[in-house]
Amino acid sequence: MSYKKKSTRTVKSGRKREKWTDLFPRYLTFISHMRPILRETRRIIINLDADLLLDTEILDKIRQEEEKRNIRKVRALSEFSAMYRSNIYEIIKDFIIKYREKIPIIDIKDYIVDFLYEAVNALNVLRHITNPDEANLEDTYLYNITKFIEARLFPRGANLKIIYEKLLKFSQNFYECQRHTLQPHTYYREILESPDYFEIPGVSPKVYQIINNIISLFNLDPNFGEFPEKENYEIPMILKGDIFLPYIDSIANAEEEATESIAERLGLRLIDNIFLAPNEDLVKILLDNNFLRESKQSDGKIRLYPQFSNETLLLYYLAFASQRRGFLSKELINWISMNFAFLIYMGILKWKLSDENILYPIFKDLQTNEKVLPYLMKLICFPNYLGLDKMKIRDSPQYRKEIFNFMGAEIDNLKNLISEIADFCEKFDKERKNN
Amino acid sequence: MSEFEDLTWNKLLQEFGKSLENAIEHLENRDIENIPGAKDALIQRLNDMKLIFPKNNGDIFIKSINDNIQNAFFPNTKTFSEAFEKILKSRTHEQDFIINELLNGFVSSKAKAIASGTQGPIIDRMVEAFSKRNDFHIVDHQFFAMFGDPNKPRHYVRKQLEELINMFGLISEELVVEKDVRTSEQKTYTFYTFPDDIIKLLEEKYLIIDQELGYAYVSDAFDRNVFICMFLANIAINRDDMEKIGGAYTINGISAIFALIILLSFLPKISVDETNPILNDPNYDEANMSIIPKSWMMKQVLESLFEPLIKIIAYRLGGGLWLSKIIGSEVNRKIMNQIRFLIKDVNKWILGQLVRVEIPIFISIGNILTEVLVGYKED
Repeated sequence: MSYKKKSTRTVKSGRKREKWTDLFPRYLTFISHMRPILRETRRIIINLDADLLLDTEILDKIRQEEEKRNIRKVRALSEFSAMYRSNIYEIIKDFIIKYREKIPIIDIKDYIVDFLYEAVNALNVLRHITNPDEANLEDTYLYNITKFIEARLFPRGANLKIIYEKLLKFSQNFYECQRHTLQPHTYYREILESPDYFEIPGVSPKVYQIINNIISLFNLDPNFGEFPEKENYEIPMILKGDIFLPYIDSIANAEEEATESIAERLGLRLIDNIFLAPNEDLVKILLDNNFLRESKQSDGKIRLYPQFSNETLLLYYLAFASQRRGFLSKELINWISMNFAFLIYMGILKWKLSDENILYPIFKDLQTNEKVLPYLMKLICFPNYLGLDKMKIRDSPQYRKEIFNFMGAEIDNLKNLISEIADFCEKFDKERKNN
Repeated sequence: MSEFEDLTWNKLLQEFGKSLENAIEHLENRDIENIPGAKDALIQRLNDMKLIFPKNNGDIFIKSINDNIQNAFFPNTKTFSEAFEKILKSRTHEQDFIINELLNGFVSSKAKAIASGTQGPIIDRMVEAFSKRNDFHIVDHQFFAMFGDPNKPRHYVRKQLEELINMFGLISEELVVEKDVRTSEQKTYTFYTFPDDIIKLLEEKYLIIDQELGYAYVSDAFDRNVFICMFLANIAINRDDMEKIGGAYTINGISAIFALIILLSFLPKISVDETNPILNDPNYDEANMSIIPKSWMMKQVLESLFEPLIKIIAYRLGGGLWLSKIIGSEVNRKIMNQIRFLIKDVNKWILGQLVRVEIPIFISIGNILTEVLVGYKED
């Protein structure tokens, strides 16, 4: 008989901190270190005679003194705190040097105090974004902001048609964001046809081009064939070969081989292995949304003429992914949750910080982002929020670097959405206070 | 040789005339339009073009290509900064879409060209790398730290970076550190930045120089299109040097892109019945969009129009050298086919109708034809 103690761990190593009660404190760790630094700096500036600010060496000395008080034992935390504090002081110093000739120093001091006040407020919201035990879920920022974004970019619904129509409703204002949600920057890691048949990858630039080709071919000169599920009806069809005709040097070979899988995600099906035609579900959706027009032929048959828009098929892909959110590829899950986390974070900042706040760059800095967003990404994957498989969120710093580096490259439409989130936060906060 | 004696030019104009006849014939045989009068409007426009384009030695082409296309996208100069300035100044939000979409979808489909597969993100990475520093330089080591994969050799990223540096015409400076703190060995850092005359041009809008703090950082307007403008400027000034611009493929690509812009500009606007559902579609904005006939995108029509038009563009941009590189091969025909599916954001589908977003380049080229047409009808 062996006396060796048996391990009670049932999950793989490295995956032990996946419960809400484990993840939430980790999300709070760095935020709860940032806030005191900002508050302390604000207190110091308030107590400092405005004229002393003119001599930037005084600020350097104060910072050095502050650093001496650092008593944190964890190296990562003390390093982060030092970096964070030094960034704040550098920004304040630059602001003073830049404006000391143009603005009275007393006003400069007021500005700095205001900026710090706003930053502390933003961190306050981030700190109380939700509850440790998920109590009163409907009353938390995290739940409400996630649902606000989800309704626009990744809605839920009882069936594909409901989801599609929800997406279509917001496509006028946020189509580019909806498209962005489906297009991971790490598309080169995706496998078009996974051995796991159900897995849904993101849309690569080439697949996006192919979707455009399909739309153009349907609109230009489609063939028509019998609607297998409905007698006396004809549906539009295009030749599969025509889609890949423009590609040279086998640059779309992988896509050609995966035609059937790509087609399924677009609501299309292969007929006789030659034609691509909409499936029964898509036909219903298209008819209801005016993307197909009925026309009675001389032989009595009803022909369905396509009149597709740019978004017609892409929104189906998004609706399909949303409905089967349990089967998304690793890349797509990481991409969607990162974008949601980024939008929540930026929405709160937009709400709390004025546009001219000099501390914005600290919040947008990669070093700050990588401390806050990965845990936010995991929190919003929980069933009450997006309901994605959080085990697929990659923890490797290299991967984070790969996807986080692109957060700065926002598209204009995302900025509009961030503004709407900020307005929503303001409204939600007022309602909460009134109740 | 003067334009009046140029036999090649005359031959090209004749070929284009014949292609118009072919296209009209195809159009008369089939009707894919569902707006009454759309097909007739297109046939009428092609007939007008057949009549007017050969006049005055192809004056309309010369004006459209020399005054509009070249000024906006491909300046006829040997000075890099002058070419870059012209392209940069003609930028508008929508024009950016054209260049991006076209280059992404087209020139890029060949490995050597810009923005293909893995190179696409690299341009974004360059924007990010420049944005992260406050001296408007990027350093190879920093670039690797930001985007490199520790599991892959460093030379992978460096090689890609160098390729892009050459393509855009950036300059490099080396800094030799005699004793590296960590390894105690000599270390060389390579800094990349823009040439001085380009930096001066960027200062107006894309680059903020803070004299007091000694910082130079990029503004929000600094984006991937700044690099794409440099790419175009680089090709424009080196148009006579086949090796530098990437050979026949680039020539075919660039000529086809401009041919598409010219063709789109000449297409007639269609008026629709007030009950047409497109007018109620939230994505259709009557103020800056117009419905154009879609029959020109039919394979048979486009193929017959495109080859002579590409040749005309190539001849005007690069003379006999460029013209000799436009070969009617199978590959080129595929490229022409591909052109049908480009520029989705300025030329979009709304409820089955093709809609052109009225951007300045389309309007100014379209106006040349309209003016000549009005004058011709008055005569």
